[in-house]
Amino acid sequence: MPKLRLPKATLALPAWVWLLAFFAAPVGLIIWYSFGYKPSIFGTHANDILSLDRYAEALSPTFFSTFSNTLWVGVVGTVACLIIGMPVAYWMAVKVPVAKRGLLIAAIMIPFWTNFLVRTIGWQIILAPQGWLSQGLQATGLLDGPLEILYSRSAVLIGVIYNYLPLMILPLFVAFDRVGEPLREASKDLGAGRLHTFLRVTIPLARPGIIAGLLLVYIPLMGDYITATVLGGAKGNMAGQLVAAQFQSAQNWALGSAMAVILILTILLSAAVLGLVIWLATLPFRSHYRLRLGVE
Amino acid sequence: MSNTATKRIALTRTAERASSTSGRPPIAAKPRRSVSDRLFMIWGILVLLFLFAPIIVILVYSFNTGRLLIAFDGFGIEPFLTILNKPAIQNAVWVSIRSGVFSALFATAIGTLAGVAMARRPGKWVGWFLALLVLVTVTPEIVDAVSLLPWVVFLGQDLGLGIFNDGIFRLVVGNSLFSIAVVSYIVRARLVGISESLEEASADLYAPPLRTFWRITLPLAMPAVLAGGLLSFTLSLDNTIVSSFVSVSGTTPWPVYVLSAVRSGLRPEIASVSTLMLIVTLLALALVAWVLKRSGDSATEIARTMAGG
Repeated sequence: MPKLRLPKATLALPAWVWLLAFFAAPVGLIIWYSFGYKPSIFGTHANDILSLDRYAEALSPTFFSTFSNTLWVGVVGTVACLIIGMPVAYWMAVKVPVAKRGLLIAAIMIPFWTNFLVRTIGWQIILAPQGWLSQGLQATGLLDGPLEILYSRSAVLIGVIYNYLPLMILPLFVAFDRVGEPLREASKDLGAGRLHTFLRVTIPLARPGIIAGLLLVYIPLMGDYITATVLGGAKGNMAGQLVAAQFQSAQNWALGSAMAVILILTILLSAAVLGLVIWLATLPFRSHYRLRLGVE
Repeated sequence: MSNTATKRIALTRTAERASSTSGRPPIAAKPRRSVSDRLFMIWGILVLLFLFAPIIVILVYSFNTGRLLIAFDGFGIEPFLTILNKPAIQNAVWVSIRSGVFSALFATAIGTLAGVAMARRPGKWVGWFLALLVLVTVTPEIVDAVSLLPWVVFLGQDLGLGIFNDGIFRLVVGNSLFSIAVVSYIVRARLVGISESLEEASADLYAPPLRTFWRITLPLAMPAVLAGGLLSFTLSLDNTIVSSFVSVSGTTPWPVYVLSAVRSGLRPEIASVSTLMLIVTLLALALVAWVLKRSGDSATEIARTMAGG
């Protein structure tokens, strides 16, 4: 035992200080600004009179539609990622031979690590009215006129599903992989069908991974700013752009701060609701027996 | 504590299963292939195509000889040559690489210390610290961005701290937040899985704490430290939103250059530079995977590490 014992958290001190100075302090400043107002055309914020007026303004009909639009894209996008990603993760973890899994994981991860902005620009090219997809669809007669999807909410939806899908597939893969062959075999030996095994054994055991995937997709998706900027145009606005515009062009930091706080609160509250819904939805599947991995 | 114990047991079980299934042919490799298996495979391949579609488009369009990126004109290497006489692009890429390296070094140093502290000095403080890290991870980037901007302006101009007017330093601050969290998670996860007995032996043999840290703890954590460092580097290269708010004119990083080009008009050389940067990122990631594999991680664990936790 060393004679000199420093306090337990000493090694973490630099990280504490840095994160408090450049994360907690600035976010605290934003919360403070959100109770102020914009004093004049040239001022960005003032805090001599405190009120909740900025919050009322941020939730007024002008901006509220953008917040509800963001929530719609967030929920639909996350659910779509789950529906698209789950079979892929199951396939990778259960059906594909062990030797080929590393290659598939790499394949899922390459888009994930390509520059976010650049791959979104890739979609701008694909979805363009004069692009190959549009021409191909017209040539095969599936479409009468040019593809008119770019700069709309649908384009933003495609963009966010694409951008966040790997974040759903990876944790689901890890979860399904952990369940393991022996338990599924045991379930089959005990007379359960495939669907029954999936619903009663695989899904309940993979639940932490499913929740992780939903959160990993939903949280950054709600705050997304780039996808909507590149693909959304005027019609596909999201809350992130609203916040940015108040700081960059309108120079109304008080209102922008209130919007940022509302955005965080929306994300936290809706994630909590999402968690509750999942908990209620899985209740019937885990009422009889509880299976647990690890130590009993 | 019981939670970490569960995790540790789960990890060793995964490892056991991985080694046992690689030893003998897996049970799943039955000769018959049912319809549902085929459907799964078709779906998987379709999704992979979906994931690669825009990347392939960017690769192809980086050879576009036309004036605008979006209108494909002809196939040639001209866009790559244009980069040579575009100092703004070269400068942007150089700024990105420099700020990426500094951010990675800084975040790795601070994050490693925090990760070691969490794994080796557990206590009530770990809960609070993890809560802070989770807050950093879940806060949307746009909120970080709009809050850092007034803060660095305040520190640099009102308080007169000159370093906050330096473009590269501002970018490092912006990049560091998320990277520190990621490095801390990875290093903690690695050390929690390794018993403390070697460190105890070192202390019993009268090694001072600092030497134990350098000679025992750090080498044990090294794969996680390297992986965390390279991840921070790629995260910093990719950082667009925070950078676009805090960057100073003259030190525009590459993603911010591209973002402004989205508004003013995209030209093919943007795709060419992206292709080159993709190659660099892939090399960095291959290195991470190789380091993790050498340290004995299974494909699953690599996936978990690379996904940031």
